[in-house]
Amino acid sequence: MASVHESLYFNPMMTNGVVHANVFGIKDWVTPYKISVLVLLDEMTISKRMTLLERRRLNKLILPLQQVPPQLHMMVVGELKDMESFFDTLPNPFSDAESEASKTSVVGLFMRHMLLAYNKLSFSQVYKLYTALQRYYDDCLGSQPGPPTAPPVDADMELSEMELTSTEDGAEGKMDKEEPDAGPMQYSELLCPLSQKQAEYFLARQAYLLKNDENKALKPAALQEELNNMLKFNPDFAEAHYLSYLNSMRVQDVFISTHSLLHYFDRLILTGGDGKSNGDEGYGRSLRYAALNLAALHCRFGHYQQAELALQEAIRIAQESNDHVCLQHCLSWLYTLEQMKGSDSSVLTEDSVKMAAHFGLPYLASLGIQSLVQQGATGGKAANMLMDALKDTDILHWKHSLSELIDISLAQTTSIWRMYGKSTMALQCAQVLLNMNSLEQVDFGVQQNNTEAFAVVLCHLAELHAEQGLFGASSEILKHLKERFPPHTQHAKLWMLCDLKIQFERAMNDGKYHLAEPHVAAIAALDQMEGLYRKGLVMKAQNQTTDAYRVLQRLQLLCEKTKCTEMIIRVMLTTAELHWESSGFSTALPLLLQALVLARQHHLQALASETILHLAFSQLMLGVPEQALNILHEAMEPILAHGALLDKGRALLLVAKCQMAVSGGREDRRTGLEQAVQTLDEAAAYFSRMGCKDRLRDTHYLQARLHHALGHTAQRNECALLFRMVDQELPPARANLANRL
Amino acid sequence: SASRGRLEGGATAQQYEKMAALSSEFGDLVQIKKQLISVISLCKERGLVHSVKWASELAFALKPLPMSELPPPAPLTEEDVEDLDALGLAKSYFDLKEYDRAAYFLRGCRSKKAYFLYMYSRYLSGEKKKDDETVDSLGPLEKGQVRNEALRELRVELSKKHRTGELDGFTLYLYGVVLRKLDLLKEAVDVFVEATHALPLHWGAWLELCNLITNIEMLKSLSLPDCWIRDFFLAHMYTELQMIKEALQKYQSLIEAGFSKSTYIISQIAVAYHNIRDIDQALSLFNELREQDPYRIENMDTFSNLLYVRSMKPELSYLAHNLVEIDKYRVETCCVIGNYYSLRSQHEKAALYFQRALKLNPRCLGAWTLMGHEYMEMKNTSAAIQAYRHAIEVNKRDYRAWYGLGQTYEILKMHFYCLYYYRRAHQLRPNDSRMLVALGECYEKLSQLSEAKKCYWRAYSVGDVERMALLKLAKLHEQLNESDEAAHCYIIYIQDIFSCGELLEHVEVSTALRYLGQYYFKNKRYDEASLCAQRCCDYNDAREEGKALLRQISQVRDQGEASSADVSLPCVFGSLSNNNTPVRRVSPLDLSSVTP
Repeated sequence: MASVHESLYFNPMMTNGVVHANVFGIKDWVTPYKISVLVLLDEMTISKRMTLLERRRLNKLILPLQQVPPQLHMMVVGELKDMESFFDTLPNPFSDAESEASKTSVVGLFMRHMLLAYNKLSFSQVYKLYTALQRYYDDCLGSQPGPPTAPPVDADMELSEMELTSTEDGAEGKMDKEEPDAGPMQYSELLCPLSQKQAEYFLARQAYLLKNDENKALKPAALQEELNNMLKFNPDFAEAHYLSYLNSMRVQDVFISTHSLLHYFDRLILTGGDGKSNGDEGYGRSLRYAALNLAALHCRFGHYQQAELALQEAIRIAQESNDHVCLQHCLSWLYTLEQMKGSDSSVLTEDSVKMAAHFGLPYLASLGIQSLVQQGATGGKAANMLMDALKDTDILHWKHSLSELIDISLAQTTSIWRMYGKSTMALQCAQVLLNMNSLEQVDFGVQQNNTEAFAVVLCHLAELHAEQGLFGASSEILKHLKERFPPHTQHAKLWMLCDLKIQFERAMNDGKYHLAEPHVAAIAALDQMEGLYRKGLVMKAQNQTTDAYRVLQRLQLLCEKTKCTEMIIRVMLTTAELHWESSGFSTALPLLLQALVLARQHHLQALASETILHLAFSQLMLGVPEQALNILHEAMEPILAHGALLDKGRALLLVAKCQMAVSGGREDRRTGLEQAVQTLDEAAAYFSRMGCKDRLRDTHYLQARLHHALGHTAQRNECALLFRMVDQELPPARANLANRL
Repeated sequence: SASRGRLEGGATAQQYEKMAALSSEFGDLVQIKKQLISVISLCKERGLVHSVKWASELAFALKPLPMSELPPPAPLTEEDVEDLDALGLAKSYFDLKEYDRAAYFLRGCRSKKAYFLYMYSRYLSGEKKKDDETVDSLGPLEKGQVRNEALRELRVELSKKHRTGELDGFTLYLYGVVLRKLDLLKEAVDVFVEATHALPLHWGAWLELCNLITNIEMLKSLSLPDCWIRDFFLAHMYTELQMIKEALQKYQSLIEAGFSKSTYIISQIAVAYHNIRDIDQALSLFNELREQDPYRIENMDTFSNLLYVRSMKPELSYLAHNLVEIDKYRVETCCVIGNYYSLRSQHEKAALYFQRALKLNPRCLGAWTLMGHEYMEMKNTSAAIQAYRHAIEVNKRDYRAWYGLGQTYEILKMHFYCLYYYRRAHQLRPNDSRMLVALGECYEKLSQLSEAKKCYWRAYSVGDVERMALLKLAKLHEQLNESDEAAHCYIIYIQDIFSCGELLEHVEVSTALRYLGQYYFKNKRYDEASLCAQRCCDYNDAREEGKALLRQISQVRDQGEASSADVSLPCVFGSLSNNNTPVRRVSPLDLSSVTP
């Protein structure tokens, strides 16, 4: 199930889950690049016939800049006085009232800022600016020889920032361009690329990508290098430390991430406001969040004790200064921590939701509710309550445009439906999410982020398809997942596990246990319990009954500790199957009944049906096929509606066996047998679609026997032939084949 | 600026190699003296003032040579003669800090000496401009981007010559400096090693190498020339790497070899003692140094630190006034004055002087840390954090700054948060008890008592300077009702205090005595208990309790209860029982009874 808390951390560039690029103060310095923008604006104000109303026209306006306006060219090839005269003439356009750039508009403000900044420059600074402009001009032209048609790369970027949209990969493109030819020789030369604005943009962009679409962000090593360069030039650029923290979290580097985080807050404390005040803003605030972030860091690395201590500290400081918002953040981490440690945290979570709602923090409140739903679902809360809660939070999300939480909510719904065994509903929910466009502005031509929610939903989709025997489709989905979430990224573990599970199931169904075995270790590496369970399954299949039993016992203890109901039921079912192997059908019954109760309590329909199948089989073996048939009727409907292909086949096979057994001694034996033949035909169809040869062999065998009994020689021969063909492919059948569902 | 001035060096390398090879032993002090005299003239010709100073100081410490033994001046080559006038002119401009002008007149010269001065002038000109430009940059990001524009050209030219093997010891050194400035540290190390081989007597190259070596493994991996100067280098290196014991050994052997009068060695040893906090030794050495070299300003900031730690106000005041008279615009002077004001609790003024020191040299590490301390005193935590962070940026291995950061956060009551900083400090100084005690206190505040106990015990084991670790450990045991352990700690504590013969805080001694009295009483060891109680009576705050305990004891004794004969209990005053006056200076304490 989607863990909803991955994104719950204090990010200075983020409020309520939305990243704001412009949190850094505007610093007014005239740079060569800004002069270019000024020239562009100047051009625009001169050419009155165009307006800014349409982008197409704007593009036309940008064209002169791209082709290097004569003014700029003149300035560069000319003398210092040309630049001086440019700034002298610049105010003219908007001293007259009909100018395009009114004094109070963004553009007007920018121009005025620039003028003021220019006038503040000292003598030598003006000259420096001029030489910088020349260098800038030469660099831009130098990078693309030939006629001066090449647009300066940065110009695209800032314009899109300033103006309407949208081609945001300017920064990235720049980075990419720089890296390949950054040989060790020119290395130190390249170390001066970014202006303040560019640096800020770069950081905000990368932070956003790390959160939403890690794949597109720079690779960890490259990003770290970039950050180090930035810090070398300006050690006071504290935000870079925070990004470095996020970046090293990506590669699970405890040392650097702690170092960067603390460094960031040490730096923030200085820049944060007026120094001594302990109030809501500035210094005191950053202290609280520093402690909170440290707690978060330890949480993510699984240092629970450390996390607890740090959290206590954050809570204490927040309490002392009456910072309720910070306290709420602490509380939500507190219940997350409790959850991670495996203890019950629902009371805490409820408190958190209430308080967050009271203080008007929709993001935290929703996260809390989602967490509660997750706990409720595993704890067996009524389904309607959960769904209601999710619906209510959805309203909240749409109201506040919390796009990230909408995604999570849908993923969660998918997971819950899947857990309840309603595959159709799960499919639908998954499709809703996958067909939805993100509310946040994403890259050009792409409407979605690559967040965990999408990974979760896609994994469900892959598994659902595999269950229906659509292995081609499922592997397509997995291929897509691999592209979207490459193996080194944060959410790659999800599809890795999913992929392994599917392969494992296939190998088991094929009867190729030796192929399934290597997967067990891989699964165990990703998910301990799942791995243990699969280990038991393989052992059971290989007739190592005692060992299998021991493994299952261990697993059961583990499950009871973590309260993982689904796994408990599965373990019970497998243990019952072990009892069958030793013909202990009656000893299996209490276990199965217990499992049934649990499954019904938690509304786990798929598992309940599975349990009924097991019960029915036990009854059949105990010689009460009528009873078995009775309870089977109850399970057939949900299985046929929602079940996996294999379950359908198994259910039908069992029904056929019961029908045979029931009709054994009766006078209408023939009709009974004919019914059974039909059922078997259906089951065989399912098994062959799944490629489940082992069971197909059984089915054909039974079919042949039945046809023989009914005297249909031709059909009998046909089935016998099919049986023989399958039988030759497979290793010899196990002795106690009959003792299997 | 210091970085500019540091650069130095040069003569014809061939002569030099010969000289170095002649005597790699200390035995021949005359040879060493000769070498020093010639290297001094070589460096002087090239404007490498710091190396000249170092070599001259060393030469001064050796016996003067008779007339006949004086080395002849280096022979002139034809090229040298050609360039003689240009070189003379350029050198005079160079001395007047007109570097561009000097370089201009040297551009056509072919002799090696002129070439070095030419390149060196260009380098210094770039450095000077860089410093000037930092003042008017175009924006905050620009600030870090101000570079010495000459570096790249110099590097290209020098690397060409380097490849063809045309560089002599001095130019190699310059090449190394250029590489270091360009952050090509690995290449720089190689070039500096090469430079030391070409010209072992040029101290500047060794010093640069010193700054680039970060750990002992790296030091061991370098192949250095076998020359007497290497021992000076190693000793310096050991001090830098905090391997004080090895450094002191090296310096001692240098003194024994005949350099006993060298002020350089004395100052280095003093600094080394300062680093291991052997304050008395360091103080006496510094006093000796002041006698021999009364106008010395170097290292006086370290001296003032020592005076500060010992709270020697008059001495510090004298030092400060003295230094101001000599030169008030020196980093060291400012630091001394800062320390002086700090000792007088005038923290604003202290911070002001540290700021002035930083203006004189922004890379002055000590000043950043000290300024942090001042802000701490003024309770301006955010400014303190800033100052400490700057110090760390200058030198990541500055344990004082890490410790200071920890203290700052501790003051802000963020005990968990400050653990990280204390741990960093502890990593850098594993055997310094102060960090361990600080760590222990934090753990105690976080109720991680077992961790705290470990820290305190370790602090005691590495030699507790403040003698607080044991007491804290004892109190911790007391809290946990581990009375035997507590008593044990108190006993060691009292023995420690009494044996070192110093009068420390009475409160703590009386606490220990009080606890021990009760402890013995509970264990029915009345003799020891009454002894402790009597001792208690010597302290004002424990007198009443002491008397009460004595009364209790006599009561119990009257009832005829015998002392427990349990000899396993430790006894602190075994041989003192009939001595009623507290003896602090002498220590006739029976240590044998308390072996743990």
